[in-house]
Amino acid sequence: MRNKLRLERWTPAFFLAPAIILLIVFRYIPIVLGFEEALYTNSLSLAGARKFVGLNNFIAVFEDPVVWGSFKTTMVFSLVVNPLQVGLALLLAELINQRVPGIAVFRAIYLVPVAISMNVTAIAWGLALDPNYGLINGIIRTLGLPRQPFLQHPSQALWSIIGIISWIGVPYWSLFFLAGLQGISSDVLESAHVDGAGSLRTFISIKLPLLRRIIAFVLVSDTVVNFTLFAPIYLITRGGPQLSTHLVMYEAYRRGLVYGDIGIASAIISVLLIVVVAFVAVEFIVLRPRH
Amino acid sequence: MNRDHTTLLRLRKARRYILLYALLIAIAIAIILPISWIVASSFSTRETVWKNVLPFSWRAFFPADFTLDGYQAIFEKDFGRALLNTFFLGAVTVVFGIAVGAMSGFAFARLKFRAKNFLFALVIFSFMIPGDLTIIPSFVLVRDLGWLGTWQGLIVPGLANGIIIFLFRQFFAEIPQDLIDAPRVDGATWLQVFIRIILPISKPALISAGVILFLGQWNNFFWPLLVAPDPELRVVQVAVSIIGIEQQVHLWEQMFASSTLAMLVPVLLILPFQRYYVGGILGSGLKG
Repeated sequence: MRNKLRLERWTPAFFLAPAIILLIVFRYIPIVLGFEEALYTNSLSLAGARKFVGLNNFIAVFEDPVVWGSFKTTMVFSLVVNPLQVGLALLLAELINQRVPGIAVFRAIYLVPVAISMNVTAIAWGLALDPNYGLINGIIRTLGLPRQPFLQHPSQALWSIIGIISWIGVPYWSLFFLAGLQGISSDVLESAHVDGAGSLRTFISIKLPLLRRIIAFVLVSDTVVNFTLFAPIYLITRGGPQLSTHLVMYEAYRRGLVYGDIGIASAIISVLLIVVVAFVAVEFIVLRPRH
Repeated sequence: MNRDHTTLLRLRKARRYILLYALLIAIAIAIILPISWIVASSFSTRETVWKNVLPFSWRAFFPADFTLDGYQAIFEKDFGRALLNTFFLGAVTVVFGIAVGAMSGFAFARLKFRAKNFLFALVIFSFMIPGDLTIIPSFVLVRDLGWLGTWQGLIVPGLANGIIIFLFRQFFAEIPQDLIDAPRVDGATWLQVFIRIILPISKPALISAGVILFLGQWNNFFWPLLVAPDPELRVVQVAVSIIGIEQQVHLWEQMFASSTLAMLVPVLLILPFQRYYVGGILGSGLKG
């Protein structure tokens, strides 16, 4: 009996240890390691070249025009892509929340992009948007309209990337809004209807305010995920043309793993991490349950 | 008068339906057309692959000159190895990821221990910060462990997943107390309760976690690209990207064939399990 009691004391540790140890080693230590590596230079090249440089890498983040440019491009990109995806996802959710025959089939079709990787999506849309061969230009030109450069011109490339990732992003986030809409009690909607409110009025005055917690959650999560966008840039544009799609994660990859300067790459992601933590902190405050 | 009114209402309703279905179908087309174009093109030869694009013809969406050249070529380049590697990686991640996630989820839902809130905050915070954000220091860590180009380098860092832990905690918290109390009074240990009572009634949570973990590994690209790009350990997404970009000659039919196979598996997995998948990812956002 006493043996068993002693054993029971260790039960929580036994159940928790694998998860907590793995989270600390592979999720939290890299965060600390990132800040530490940011204080050294050229740590991926020859062992002797590792040198303590203090905050020089952080200063370089703000002074190097290409690095700082990637932060600015990422800000512009974020300010467009996230509200756009959240808005379209809300509309899509409202659309598939209609109780009409066959809606389950449409919901299933709209789930398909969610299953497909960003990688394949980028390759496929990169081909579809090709100025010479691409499917989209084939359709445009067959309709008699002028050929568009899409990913190959600085004025259209970032917009094309935004379109490509929204093909996955909009259906994905609409799942959260659909669940939110389905959670609104039918009594509320019924009384709005009796009061003579139309669909648009009901959507704006009743549904949106009730969804505000989910909207805040999705907006923050989408922003944070899009900060780390890498695959389409790596696969299609490599940051170009003329750095127009040079987003910050791609710059961190290029500096750290192509040029081998882990120091500056770590400084880049440490700055980005601080921004992300600030976003998440705001989310926690906004979403704190009210008593 | 009254009849006119009903007719008007019926007309309005019909107009609303037509508009609604037009919109639903237009969006469905925007999703299906690019996919069917990729699949159709994967059965073309390099010479005919662009034939129906300009001038554009509907045949671009249906296999026209049916050939398996693209598929034959990618399998000669060990694409089959990449498929097998990814299935293996997915299966191992599902088994161990579920074990790690379910055990800790059970502890958070049912056991009493010190620092519970703090440890749970660690879990929540870990899935608010995307793993790709810290991918470069993670790479440094795995390199220093000597795990570059190894299975453990691909598998171990992804085993503890905050969303999965959260999912299990939510599910286990709903289980009626009586189901646990009875065997406990009879002297069963917590491990016995967990294995004999809890797990057998947790099929929905186990399926959700399995689908999410498998899809996550199947579609993972950035991490395997850094840790294990070599042919022996190459996974599907890396293989697709190499066929897609690292060639001097554009191997169109091979790009389409490899993309088709890379999307086929997750689509076939998500459709039958959509309720479990959607339920699983929603838990993280709606109850937090």
